Amino acid sequence: MANLTSQFFGLELKSPVIAASSSMTGDLEQIKKLAQAGVGAIVLKSLFEEEIDAQLQEELSKRKALEPDPEYMDYFDYIIRDENLKDYTSLIRQAKQAVDVPIVASVNCVSAVDWVVFSKKLEEAGADALELNLFALPSDVAKTNETSEQFYFKTIAEVLKTVSIPVSIKISHYFSNLAGMIQRLSETGVSGISLFNRFYSPDIDINQEEVVGADVLSNPSDYLMPLRWTGIMASKTACPLAATTGVHSAETAIKFLLAGANAVQIASVLYTNGAAVVTEMNQQIAAWMDEKGYSSVADFKGKLAVGEADATLYERAQFMKYFSQKSF
Amino acid sequence: MARVPPDFTKTLLFLTCQIRLKNKNSDLTMYQIVEKESFSEKVVKLVVHAPRIARARKPGHFIILRIDEQGERIPLTIAQADKNAGTITLVVQKVGVSSTRLCEMNPGDSILDLVGPLGKATHIHQAGTILACGGGVGIAPLLPIVEGFKKAGNRVVTVLAARSKDLIILEDEIRQWSDEVIIMTDDGSYGNKGLVTTGAEEVINREQIDECVAIGPAVMMKFTALLTKKYNIPTQASLNAVMVDGTGMCGACRANVGGETKFTCIDGPEFDAHKIDFDELIQRLGGYMAEEKEAWEQANG
Amino acid sequence: MKEYLKIERDTEWRVELRSQLKNKERTMRERVVMPGLDPLERIKYQDREVNLGLDEASARAEASRCMDCVNPTCIEGCPVSINIPKFIKNIERGEVLEAAKTLKETSALPAVCGRVCPQEKQCEAQCFYTLKLKKEPVAIGYLERFAADYEQNSGAVSVPETAAKNNIKVAAIGSGPASLSFAGDMAKLGYDVTVFEALHEIGGVLKYGIPEFRLPNRVVDVELESLENMGVKFERNFIVGRTASFDDLKEEGYQAFFVASGAGLPRFMNIPGENYNGILSSNEYLTRVNLMHAAEKEFDTPVLRGKNIAVVGGGNTAMDSVRTAKRLGAERAMIIYRRSREEMPARVEEVLHAEEEGIEFLNLTNPVEYFADENGRVNRMRVQKMELGEPDASGRRRPVVVEGSEYDIPVDVVVVAIGVSPNPLVPSELPELKVSRWGTIEVDPETMQSSIPELFAGGDIVRGGATVILAMGDGRKAAAGMNNYLQGKLKEQATEASGN
Repeated sequence: MANLTSQFFGLELKSPVIAASSSMTGDLEQIKKLAQAGVGAIVLKSLFEEEIDAQLQEELSKRKALEPDPEYMDYFDYIIRDENLKDYTSLIRQAKQAVDVPIVASVNCVSAVDWVVFSKKLEEAGADALELNLFALPSDVAKTNETSEQFYFKTIAEVLKTVSIPVSIKISHYFSNLAGMIQRLSETGVSGISLFNRFYSPDIDINQEEVVGADVLSNPSDYLMPLRWTGIMASKTACPLAATTGVHSAETAIKFLLAGANAVQIASVLYTNGAAVVTEMNQQIAAWMDEKGYSSVADFKGKLAVGEADATLYERAQFMKYFSQKSF
Repeated sequence: MARVPPDFTKTLLFLTCQIRLKNKNSDLTMYQIVEKESFSEKVVKLVVHAPRIARARKPGHFIILRIDEQGERIPLTIAQADKNAGTITLVVQKVGVSSTRLCEMNPGDSILDLVGPLGKATHIHQAGTILACGGGVGIAPLLPIVEGFKKAGNRVVTVLAARSKDLIILEDEIRQWSDEVIIMTDDGSYGNKGLVTTGAEEVINREQIDECVAIGPAVMMKFTALLTKKYNIPTQASLNAVMVDGTGMCGACRANVGGETKFTCIDGPEFDAHKIDFDELIQRLGGYMAEEKEAWEQANG
Repeated sequence: MKEYLKIERDTEWRVELRSQLKNKERTMRERVVMPGLDPLERIKYQDREVNLGLDEASARAEASRCMDCVNPTCIEGCPVSINIPKFIKNIERGEVLEAAKTLKETSALPAVCGRVCPQEKQCEAQCFYTLKLKKEPVAIGYLERFAADYEQNSGAVSVPETAAKNNIKVAAIGSGPASLSFAGDMAKLGYDVTVFEALHEIGGVLKYGIPEFRLPNRVVDVELESLENMGVKFERNFIVGRTASFDDLKEEGYQAFFVASGAGLPRFMNIPGENYNGILSSNEYLTRVNLMHAAEKEFDTPVLRGKNIAVVGGGNTAMDSVRTAKRLGAERAMIIYRRSREEMPARVEEVLHAEEEGIEFLNLTNPVEYFADENGRVNRMRVQKMELGEPDASGRRRPVVVEGSEYDIPVDVVVVAIGVSPNPLVPSELPELKVSRWGTIEVDPETMQSSIPELFAGGDIVRGGATVILAMGDGRKAAAGMNNYLQGKLKEQATEASGN
């Protein structure tokens, strides 16, 4: 069988198929199944700052009924944060003990301060690498592009200063100069960038006339946007790229590798098809490689990426054509 | 204080062993000292009347005592207990004002307050071969653990270490519950010359060790932990932290274990030695050094 | 209850007293001012009480402000339902010992409550003056203290009546306000109550936590003596679950337990450098000074002193710590609090007293990191400025970080007073006991009964954090709940016996 080894998160992975951060990777039993199925790495369920916050609000209203000493309520947010952190670090420890696949901790905070403290704790708990889910939806009209972007660089610098394990980031596509931003982010010292994270999307229920949550799972066609940007950026970044959102099959995974990604992160397909889909994807990628005569991922990785030096019109047109047939 | 000549110490030791209270145990007041033995100039063994604790204690447990109104609350690990006599054995080293005053108490004197048993008991189980390492007064808390593991059917190899011969304590009792005892002294005045790790490594190279327990000065535990980590041997260390109440309230005894803040009095005193931040622990043990020195000077000046 | 209050209100002397002064005249009178020690003088002493207490004349004048309302809303504000108008009217007519007796009908610790209750949030907040007249409330707290102190000083301390002994043994675990209040009520009902305390002193937070300058130990001791006179027994140095197991105690005849084991492990902020020497919890700091007398020369226990002492937090414990630091000689004693003065959970009076004593308040400020010298002793703390954002579910505005506002403050000692978690000792010995994720014991809020039928609980171990008075309220509820439970069980046994 072809050699599926690849590198991402600053780590050697035995498969380019990574289990992305989802509620599935917050469960030890599922983690064991995923490892058995042959994932290259497991990104644990994110430690969400917002989730902690929602919990705090709930606890505070519950506590209020007990009329506790206001002193007790005063720092309750620290208690909640600590408890969550404790649960998360114990998940890391348990996962590390249960499987020998690299375990990547994922943090998802809103403020720059907590990211740093959290990251340190996760490293101490034994995570092999960190994934920072940088998640600032630029919805504040008063903010300038610069202040929105500054948040990313500042947070990365702080976290890199704090931990010694590899740090990767997962970003959205909401930037005015996406290519420039990806390139600059790749030069900050991160070991990888995943394109792009899925936002929780609002939808509208026209019968009830209210805002509701959209379907949380991705669609197979969602991969096109990350694919475009992987192809454009793969040769221009100082660190490897990985794709996330819309990777549902071995075929899509191969497309990303051809476009220049080192790995793909899957989540929705795990919900619909279960952990076994990983084994299937690995087998299919290997079969395709055998068919094409590739013995390792490096043999074809980036074959269809836009070259840096030879970004001639032709190649670019070819590349654009490649997409246009699919997307328009 | 002048160093007592060794021969004299022996005589003294013999004599103090003979001092027993004439009263029957039932007449004893709470926390009365019934027996005292001086191991060295700085280390004393006290047998104290505390029937409830004698009944309830398990290996690894400790107590907190306060000798009188002025005294500090001192945490001490229980070395031995006699359910029938209702007594517990404590080994005390002179370190601060209160512990020095405790060492100077005599049979018949009563300790004002004594509470326990505290802490989590040692997880005694059948593991195979246990390597037990004790340093200095740490040998005292090691004793019930060695006894426990031996009774649970393990092979127990014990390495005792101290600066010099007179600081090796409870050797006979340890021998009673060990398959083999190796003695190490810094100056070579007894047993082999060298550190606890020298003796321990010899044992590790010689036979399969399944688990290790290390109790002694923080530095000694630190290096034992480094050694056993090299050989991948699960190791427990018992921390001796600064404490005030000892019942999970003050937080003075906090230690960094595997990146988490743990409290020695509630979560400990035993922890996975490979996860303990010993450097921080050593630093924290010196937290009240200046204040203690001042108190010492006040008490003696 | 309503009936009883009405009957009491209609007693001849109260009707007579009401007619002596028109309500209008009563409301024209100014609220009394509590005399206190001079701030510059008092900070030299750890053990001198700041508030001096009212004299009889000013107490009676203050008592005359109370209009003896038909519907005394103030009582609703009191967790132990003290008959407030009755005791105040007794002061007004000069029957102060009667007033003290009235307090003891429902409160085991009137001299304590008069000093440490946040009256401004309880009885005084529900006073007619506050609610309807928008004037300063009757100084119920001052008057409570006056009556209790008067009795203590008179040498004629009354012992509440107790029912005939029923020889049923019950245990209270912990000896703080919740337990003492429970023990008092159970003794009144005729039970054989033993209070078990892990420390060497009875009183819990009243002894180890609240400093002498706010609550002198002798005041607590008199109340403890009252309880002893009612037949309550105290066992020191005894950890239920450890020194003896629950099963051991059941064998010794204890039929039910009230767990009020209070505060446990202190919370820290988990920020870098927090384990350096010189950084300690308020529990440790206050225990050293209050319980172990570390500030006094003849005691062995040491305490950290320093020029610059920072206390993190804004509650009563933070105020007690920072004022203690000032008294132990700190040149700069600071409160570091991340919300503003309005949100401070401390009693208003404590904040005022602290301000008078020259405590520096760095509000809207939050620590982010500590730095130490080569010996590992803290010498600097980094803080950041905060601003207040949207209110959270507790109704208070949340602190939000002001980006780029970090700066350093030199410190020698830092006391962290941001709260504690419930004491884990009892729950850890009873695996079948239902506890919340936060380590608090889950109880029926009416009876305080836990998932183990013979085990009741109250105070911090149930609420996570409770004021003295709320803990006492829990103790009373638990006593009623346990009495019902035990009497019910007796009846059951009797029917079973007669049925056989």
